[in-house]
Amino acid sequence: MNSLIILLIGVLGIAVGYGFYARTIDKNIIQPDPKKATPATMYMDGVDFTPASRNVLYGYQFKSIAALGPIVGPIVAVRWGWLPALLWIVFGTFFIGWVQDYSSIILGVREEGKTFGALSYKLISPRARTILLIFIYLYLLLIMGAFGKIVGYDLMTKPAVPLGVLFVMGVGLLAGQMTYRWKIDILITSVVTVILAFVGIWLGTLTGVQNFFTNINELFGFSFGDVTWARMLWSIVVLVICYFGAVLPIWRWAQPINYVSFWIVFLGIIGGTVGLLLWRPTIDAAAFPALTTWDGKLGELGALGPMWPLLFVTIACGAISGWHSLVSSSGTARQIEKETDALPVGGGAMFLEMFVAVLSLLAATVGVGAARYVELNAGAFVFAEGLSKFLTYVGIPESFGLPYGAVFLTLMALTIMYLVVRFMRVASAEFLGDAVPALKNVHIGTIVALALSLLLIWTGYWSHVWILFGSSNQLMAALALLLASLWLMTKAKNYTWTFVPFVFMFLTTMAALARTSYVVLRDAITKGAELPIDKVIGNYVAGVIGVVLFLAALYLAVDAVRAIQTRLAEGRATAGTD
Amino acid sequence: MTEEEKNILKKLGMSAIEFIYGMAGHDMTRFALKTRGSMEHLFILITMGDLLGVPILPPYYSLRLLPYVVPQISTWKRRMLREKDLTDALA
Repeated sequence: MNSLIILLIGVLGIAVGYGFYARTIDKNIIQPDPKKATPATMYMDGVDFTPASRNVLYGYQFKSIAALGPIVGPIVAVRWGWLPALLWIVFGTFFIGWVQDYSSIILGVREEGKTFGALSYKLISPRARTILLIFIYLYLLLIMGAFGKIVGYDLMTKPAVPLGVLFVMGVGLLAGQMTYRWKIDILITSVVTVILAFVGIWLGTLTGVQNFFTNINELFGFSFGDVTWARMLWSIVVLVICYFGAVLPIWRWAQPINYVSFWIVFLGIIGGTVGLLLWRPTIDAAAFPALTTWDGKLGELGALGPMWPLLFVTIACGAISGWHSLVSSSGTARQIEKETDALPVGGGAMFLEMFVAVLSLLAATVGVGAARYVELNAGAFVFAEGLSKFLTYVGIPESFGLPYGAVFLTLMALTIMYLVVRFMRVASAEFLGDAVPALKNVHIGTIVALALSLLLIWTGYWSHVWILFGSSNQLMAALALLLASLWLMTKAKNYTWTFVPFVFMFLTTMAALARTSYVVLRDAITKGAELPIDKVIGNYVAGVIGVVLFLAALYLAVDAVRAIQTRLAEGRATAGTD
Repeated sequence: MTEEEKNILKKLGMSAIEFIYGMAGHDMTRFALKTRGSMEHLFILITMGDLLGVPILPPYYSLRLLPYVVPQISTWKRRMLREKDLTDALA
């Protein structure tokens, strides 16, 4: 099958999903009114509530939701074969993904800009808010573990990558200085800094530079279990970068670096898409199998586990993701100018992200192929290789495209990791600040968050951490769907379009959490003597996180059942009044 | 090319520019506005806090500043008194 047909399936999914299903629900159930005042216009304060145009918000929403998830998820999930991965990406987005993003925005808009904590308190129970916050903290910790391992272990340890990444950091700081201190025009700043960033990536490809980083990577021969010197060094470097991102003023570090990073990523996606369109490769069973085995065994790679539930949590952001609902309810909903903008912004951005996930899937399957995929151990570097292959068709040599792809991925991860550490710091101060006043200190709160992240990075099995991350992510999405369903129930509106996806996602993620927690704890207990000590610790840590998440979700489910009964009664009363 | 087609193209071009701005720069602009807004609201709290029952500097200075602050008082009061949640910090 030609890869363009796969892209076409993606485009068709967007056309039918957005053009028919989403519009029908928007028109018949939500019935947005463009004349109705939204929180952004009603409470405009130039701080939290500020209206923005639909197109601007579309870009903002897309950039906020698209991180490593839609790229790494499909790369891992093709171990079950590209067909099930593709089907989940398309149908997941079609029936669940956009529903969650869009309903989270609508919920925020119709509930006066309330965010998830307040909505859980109001619609489920007071306890639900506390559980949600514990949940969010662990979820963010898992993001740090999963992303940190990808960057610190897989990407930065490649000698051609660190200089490019460090160069972009430096150039980002320069961009901040030029914009905020020297007041230089943003166009000039953009051109200068983006060119410099590309020069930095190119410098990383020089033999002398690569030799330098190879020497650094081999400076010491010691290792702690799986953690070699190079992995230890680069994972610490990544967390130091996150530390600065979390404690320095946003304008000084996180924002300008993210701004420069955006252009690197944006140009990479455009170049990759154009390259793929020019190449139009064929995907056949020899290149990559459409379907492997139920437990995801591909070549010499070990089995991942049963397709259900694991495939559905492995591909998170490309099909559905709880992160989106957090962004949608707290950021986007407070900027929506007209209710009618919610669908193009929330739904539209989700469908665009689906396209990125399909591109990533193609990078692994046609860009790299099964043999090389197995050689690369199904890691994130697969995407870098696939992208570099696509880029060769727009005239960019692989010697540059490969480090570029790796820097691209690293920057995508770091963009989110700063925010995550910042929020973990705020959350720990809020939770435990009264009991442990030291946590209210910016540096201590950040260091605690980073220390926990480092523990997970150094000790956890990446595949388990990723599946736990995906499960918590999807569970967050299930919660968003539950909140939307409860809200629809109180308004006596049709809630099947959010409730059925909620039930599916809840059961799937609970099964994934239960299975993964069981596997890691079983391994820690029964194979403790055979496994390296770091992995035993990692399994215990991952197991405890999984069990806590599972129990928290069970508590939420109990409260949710009660809330459903109450909200249905409220809905009947509302319908009776009407 | 007809005038109508030109308008459509112009509109499409503007939409694309806005979309790219949304991805690249909107967050930066928003944060700059947020920082300014927060500083202003903090300043109003220091000088006009008694409007919310917060003890403040001698009212002489507040009265001198009052004419400049009047346009912002309603939004400031609303923001100060609005119940906040931890998940707001994700925005």
